[in-house]
Amino acid sequence: MQRVPAHKGMLCHLIKHARPDLVKKIEEAQEVETIVVGLGGQGTRHAGLMRDFGTTVTGGIAPGRGGQRIHETIPVYDSIADCLEEHPNIAAASIWKHFTSARDATLEVIEAGIPLVMLITEGIPLRDVRDILVAARKHKTVLFGGNTPGVIFPPEGIKIGMLPDVFYPEEVKPGQAGPHGVTIISRSGAILYHMSDALASVGIAQNAVLGIGGDGANGSTFTDLVPVAMAYENTDLVVVAGEIGGSKEELLAEDIAVNPKKYPKPMVALISGAHAPEGKTMGHAGAIVAPGQEYGTFKSKKKALESVGVTVVNSQYDLISAAKDKLKGKTYFDVSRYYEKMRLTWEEPPKKPQWGTLITKIAPDVMLLSGYPIQEVIEHGNLLETAHLLLKLDLPSRDILKKHEKTALEASRIPAPPIERFQSEDISSALAKSFLMDKPMFEVPSTGKDGPVTKTVFALGRFARYLAAILGNEKAFDSAAEEEGFTGLIYRAVTGDKTFDAKRAKLIEQIIVACVDHGTTPPSAQATILAATVRPSYEIGIAAGIGAITDVHGGAGGEAASFFRACVAKSEAGNIDLSDAVVAILNEYMKKGKRVGGLGHRVHKIDPRRTPLWAMCDQYGLSGKCVAVSKLVSDLFEKVRGMSLPINVDGVIGAIVADLGLHPDLAKALFVFGRVVGLSAHFYEETASQPQMRRIDFSQSVYKGKEKRSFPK
Amino acid sequence: MRLYEYEAKKVFGSMGLTIPKQYGVIHSPDDLKGLDLTYPVMLKSMVLIGGRGKAGGIKKAKDLAEAKSKAADILKLVIKGYPVDTLLVEEVANEAGACYLGITTHPATFNVIMMASAEGGVDIETIALEKPEAILKKEIPENNMELPEDLAEEFAKFLNTGLKGNEKLKASLKDAIKKLYATFQAFDCKTAEINPLIVTTDNIAVAADAKVVIDDNALYRQGGLFELLGIAEARHDVSELTKDEQRARDGGFKYVDPSRFGGISSCDTFIKGTIKALRDRFAKGQRMLPIVGRMVGTDLPSAREFLQKAKIETPEALKDLDIAVGNEKIMADVIKDGIAKGFEVKQAQAATASK
Repeated sequence: MQRVPAHKGMLCHLIKHARPDLVKKIEEAQEVETIVVGLGGQGTRHAGLMRDFGTTVTGGIAPGRGGQRIHETIPVYDSIADCLEEHPNIAAASIWKHFTSARDATLEVIEAGIPLVMLITEGIPLRDVRDILVAARKHKTVLFGGNTPGVIFPPEGIKIGMLPDVFYPEEVKPGQAGPHGVTIISRSGAILYHMSDALASVGIAQNAVLGIGGDGANGSTFTDLVPVAMAYENTDLVVVAGEIGGSKEELLAEDIAVNPKKYPKPMVALISGAHAPEGKTMGHAGAIVAPGQEYGTFKSKKKALESVGVTVVNSQYDLISAAKDKLKGKTYFDVSRYYEKMRLTWEEPPKKPQWGTLITKIAPDVMLLSGYPIQEVIEHGNLLETAHLLLKLDLPSRDILKKHEKTALEASRIPAPPIERFQSEDISSALAKSFLMDKPMFEVPSTGKDGPVTKTVFALGRFARYLAAILGNEKAFDSAAEEEGFTGLIYRAVTGDKTFDAKRAKLIEQIIVACVDHGTTPPSAQATILAATVRPSYEIGIAAGIGAITDVHGGAGGEAASFFRACVAKSEAGNIDLSDAVVAILNEYMKKGKRVGGLGHRVHKIDPRRTPLWAMCDQYGLSGKCVAVSKLVSDLFEKVRGMSLPINVDGVIGAIVADLGLHPDLAKALFVFGRVVGLSAHFYEETASQPQMRRIDFSQSVYKGKEKRSFPK
Repeated sequence: MRLYEYEAKKVFGSMGLTIPKQYGVIHSPDDLKGLDLTYPVMLKSMVLIGGRGKAGGIKKAKDLAEAKSKAADILKLVIKGYPVDTLLVEEVANEAGACYLGITTHPATFNVIMMASAEGGVDIETIALEKPEAILKKEIPENNMELPEDLAEEFAKFLNTGLKGNEKLKASLKDAIKKLYATFQAFDCKTAEINPLIVTTDNIAVAADAKVVIDDNALYRQGGLFELLGIAEARHDVSELTKDEQRARDGGFKYVDPSRFGGISSCDTFIKGTIKALRDRFAKGQRMLPIVGRMVGTDLPSAREFLQKAKIETPEALKDLDIAVGNEKIMADVIKDGIAKGFEVKQAQAATASK
């Protein structure tokens, strides 16, 4: 349903009283920003339910968990101050702390100047409540609760608290919500929605439902809120739900008698507890505070309110008839449409369990790195930029990128300890050592807002160093010039060339960029994510993922390079057409039962990474015969084997590596280099946004990150 | 949690308020023999309700014989529904005057409010009504842990003037005022009251009575209180029949006794708990109660699926579980149906019983 704009609703009207300056911000942003304080089971769960309903949940507050995310997308801050620094327009907070710690959390929220506070916590000690009330009075906070179920504004589609989605707004025309209706103000949460239900059953809408809290002492009372609700132009009737105990109803009656002008609109009150035993008191203190006044009983409340002309009811039936009467039969929506919506809710199939990742969207022939198509990232982004993108989900500024480059270069300059690639050891296994043996990397902290990206950038620098060491290319490092940047270092580590070749270097870097991530589908990412559930060190998490890159996964580039070389050799030796040579080699492979690496993909038909790599290769004049074969092979394969297996990124990389005259093993090494970035992003995403030791079903993973956007050129 | 007088006095004593010497707590007149008494003594019924004096629950005794007979009388009393089974035996203070001192939470502002009157005693409520100027009432809006000095001075002066006391008495009163306030805050009281606060012939303010109600929400942090009182855990204040229940019982009126549960909880949690309880009862052969209700709100889809499956899995145990899904029926109608069902079940039970 089309909603009433946030700045025209009752919620904004409430905020206006406490913080008029925020109203303009709400109008500009068309949203009311809220936070969730206390991220235990309930707080976390309801943060998600609020967001699903339509509330803007800007952040969660949990000391010690700053930098994490809940429901994969809602950032967590250590303190209210940290959150306000980034989001100064927070207008409302809901507090879900345990009753033993609710006081301090609530004081922090109030003192930070947040105007609307829902204190959900039940059973806070009275002395703590008094401290909260003292602060709320000083800061003019509109405090709901303790023990409030929260508030809901059906026309704006906003709820703050735990009220269920069972309320229906005025419908000015089908599918268009209107702001008019009845405002319900209730002490009890359960009674509140029973009243709402009763009214909805006869087509009477609520423009706001406010739970003021069931605990004995609490913030805003009827006397505070009824006049505010009546001052809201779109409220036609106020329904107050009181109950026995305390004196809120009697005080309301007293205020109506003294200040009738504050109460210009009709009102109905429901008092529950008519049949409860009357409390027996001990001592005289109560009688002395208010001598001669009876308060707290059903009778005293009914009498007080009726004496000032308020209709008092005691059942849903009476409420319906009293409300109809006061509204002179006015209705706000078609009851059948309301039940239709409700029926859709209660007949809805249970939600399939899912969990989210914000890093990379993977769909057939589509790869978006935090929204950017991989094709554009390969064309325009460098490795450190891409690392920043995956870790921070946005591109770095020029200054930050410079800082990253400095970090990576410094890391690469520290010598590697003596390292050996054992005979017949997989190159990925040897490279995993760079994470397991390295003290300087171990000493870089992961903590803080930029900890993860800084650590990843440092790790990339160290990785370049170890790669050079394993390949025996460390000497090439010494002649590196400053202006070559990290690109030059990568080039020297990979090739061992002492002279820098900008084109070859760029091509190698972009191959690495092409390999950075493939979402949560590859076994290497899954290995890292699984490891991350038990919160190991970063190094262990990444080594787990690298260890899972073998000839079965990620290693096809080497096989492909060998295949292309064999094809080219055959063509040159027999002086035959390249395509004839390819067919001959394919047949040979078939006879031997050998697999052709680099063909076919589990997800993609046309691997989105292949075209930009080929294009770059052609553009730099670096395409040789192997690349030519890579462009032919799929069609020929289909002719020979009758199967369509399009070439994938491994195949293209294998071809380029072969044409660059590099050892076929380098194809896998480059893949691992790039994947360090993706594995780092998944490692930190898991630790920041998921519970420890969770059971993971990777088929339930859903991309919840940024929508498709263009990479700036 | 309400404290018995002797417990409340222990609390006061621990905070430095002057209290009469407690000889001991007895449960029968014979227990008096075990106490080392200096007569006269006070015998006070320990019940958690006001109005003991007027009900004859507080007596003075000048010797053992009188003490025994009066103790026996008091132990037979039932005061406003509370049977007396415990007596506090304590010294009789040398009373030269009495006043009232009490602290509670203001029902409208929820501030701490302190009250005092030089005209203490059982009829303080009447004084509040008829002579409001005889009572000094002050709210403490900052919720301080210690009573602000100016207020302590004001209260002490007010009482001392009313009692026509000297400087020594005023100092003693001020001390008691400050300590009662500190007790109120430190022990998380909802009410702390001394009535009467008597003044002795040598100008000392003594808490001759003590009423303390502790905030149940704060019991978790009042471990020291339990230690002080020598009790292991919190006591629950009694619950009573409602007026209508009592009338129905007394009049032999036919009624079903419904119990409501649920409220604001996830449908999922609600239905899983309900079904588990019914299955457990069924497995143990316990009496099965019909449950009529509805669920609507958070997690309804998964709750609905769970209920459907459960009914197929264990139809016997869930025979009388009738939960409507959704809110097409308002709760008042569901309750009506529930009551009708309750009568049905009752009649069926009666029919089986008579066979």
